[in-house]
Amino acid sequence: MEPVESQTRTETAPDFSPSAGTAFTAAPATPGRVERRKRPRTWETPPAPVPPPHLDDYKKIVGEAEIDELRFLARELKGKTLKMVNSTAVGGGVAEMLNQLVPLLNEVEVVTHWDVITGGNDFFEVTKGFHNALQGSDYRLTQQARDIFLMNNEQNRQRLQFNEEFIVIHDPQPAPLIQARTNSPQHWVWRCHIDLSNPNPEVWGFLRPFIEKYDAAIFSSQSFARQLPIPQYLFYPCIDPLSEKNKELDDAFVQQVCDELGIDRSRPIVTQVSRFDRAKDPVGVIQAFKEARKYVDSQLVMAGGGATDDPEGAAVLREVREAAGDDPDVIILDLPPWCALQINALQRASTIIVQKSVKEGFGLTVTEALWKGKPTIGGAVGGIPNQIIHKLTGVLVHSVEGCAYQMRYLLTHPEFAKQLGENGRAHVKENFLMTTNVRRWLLLLRILNGRK
Amino acid sequence: MTTSAVTPVRPHTAVKAFYFNTSAHLLRVTPQKATTLVEFLGALRECPEGSIFQHTFRTLQEHHFIREGFSNDFAEWASSACNEPSLAEALASVDVREFTSVAELRERFVQIVGEFVNRNPTVQSRQARETFYFCASDIVVIPTQYVARTLREFAEGLRHVSVHSIQHHFIEARLRIKLMSNDFSQWLLEDLGLPEAARQLNRIDIYTVTLDDVKNQIIRIVERALV
Repeated sequence: MEPVESQTRTETAPDFSPSAGTAFTAAPATPGRVERRKRPRTWETPPAPVPPPHLDDYKKIVGEAEIDELRFLARELKGKTLKMVNSTAVGGGVAEMLNQLVPLLNEVEVVTHWDVITGGNDFFEVTKGFHNALQGSDYRLTQQARDIFLMNNEQNRQRLQFNEEFIVIHDPQPAPLIQARTNSPQHWVWRCHIDLSNPNPEVWGFLRPFIEKYDAAIFSSQSFARQLPIPQYLFYPCIDPLSEKNKELDDAFVQQVCDELGIDRSRPIVTQVSRFDRAKDPVGVIQAFKEARKYVDSQLVMAGGGATDDPEGAAVLREVREAAGDDPDVIILDLPPWCALQINALQRASTIIVQKSVKEGFGLTVTEALWKGKPTIGGAVGGIPNQIIHKLTGVLVHSVEGCAYQMRYLLTHPEFAKQLGENGRAHVKENFLMTTNVRRWLLLLRILNGRK
Repeated sequence: MTTSAVTPVRPHTAVKAFYFNTSAHLLRVTPQKATTLVEFLGALRECPEGSIFQHTFRTLQEHHFIREGFSNDFAEWASSACNEPSLAEALASVDVREFTSVAELRERFVQIVGEFVNRNPTVQSRQARETFYFCASDIVVIPTQYVARTLREFAEGLRHVSVHSIQHHFIEARLRIKLMSNDFSQWLLEDLGLPEAARQLNRIDIYTVTLDDVKNQIIRIVERALV
């Protein structure tokens, strides 16, 4: 099953491997297409995995006091045991987050294990159907699908051990594992990473009895929560400021990437980073850019992925190319998923960043843009308004025309744009970094522990 | 920031030490939500006190880096989702420091929204662009390693603690101590006998500067008292 997030994914081997894993489908070997220049060969293979960070590594970013607070918060939890269970070890937002989070929790002596459920192709086809249905797609829940889902969960229940004091089950695929709960004083939490604001009633009705047996549920946005008889907490997704995608870069490297891609840094650069998906309205971005450019000289970079292994992505990429026409100032990049450093460089080279989604999960590409201090234009959907407070940490738009106007305004009012960028970075620092995520987990464990 | 002089005193030891704490909050989603101003008014009346606290006191910390234009979530929603600037202005003008109980604060918001809805019947059922979801906080108070018995140690502690600690002692404290004051001023006044420094701290405007700026202003006032 696919992860929740809609950001351009980076797929690297996990640094903190879970104890069991599903088969990992490697990223396509076929290099992505670059419209302007041939990509250097070094981009064609994934980089070596980066070792997981330590808490002290974040001191220079969030300050010593913040890290001290995490250690104080963890004191009462020293030696407590926690198990995370999800459905994939590699690839996607959840695995990426757990790769960072699990070592950090262990570092503060919350003994954390990570298990991955297994299942056959039939199981993951069913869970993919559930995933889409829970996010609003049409779906007919057959008895066969129920049986496959429950049988695979039962096999996992028998295979896995659940002796820890806290058990956290991620997403719907392993939700029935709650049936492994015994009379021992454990705390079970369901962490839902997907948008449940408009679920298929049949599938949600099937899963809901399992969810109600948990002690608490966690959602990524207020609007994703459901009416449930258990406490529901809000954990915003986060980014890791030390990751390849977000770490500070030398300007020389940023320049090198721009040179290789034919991007002229002497002129304003407007960028959208997103896979080629209609929900991201890439054609709308090009239309807005062409309107804005009538008044302000600039270039548009559309950096995405997913067109090589996804038929719909390929179709959207064709539409994007058609919309761009032969405009030399519209640069379309179809990048493989391991180009995190290059994406980072593109974002840092940008004058403004756009994420004009018409449907969105949380929108971690917005978080990434804000973290880099970039004035950001976002569609007012999904989790984007949680990040962009209109005219304070960025600007929200509802139309192509609105997007065009904001591009013009931000490109011609650099002081205002700079202030938005500074506020946006501070907003991410306070609310959407990995350290905040660690804080939320420690808080939840303390709150649950206090309930006994 | 005020510029009046602080009476210099020699540092001495306080009767009671000042223990720097900090607090951490976990957001909890409540059942209340609103898509019209009438629903909003109803939810304001019914929501748990923790929701009023979250969307006013807490949100100040979550957005502490913004110098202007952000006061509380209610005002932000009235402006950005309802396009009601006059209501937004009225809601934004509510200064949390004028309240020592969340119940009083709730009453003030109910009064503002109620009066606006009564004066403008056409807006009552107009759909907002975004739903307002009422959240609440579960709070954990955490001790830090910093303890002050003298003004010098107090200044040192202030330099080391995070803005979360400043929020806890300086802004949210009034709900605990039920006074129009804060933990820092109370300690300076009652345990170190420094009424002028205590008064100056209470005059810091938290709405026009960031929480880091607030922290720096507090440190400067305390450092001047050290001279």
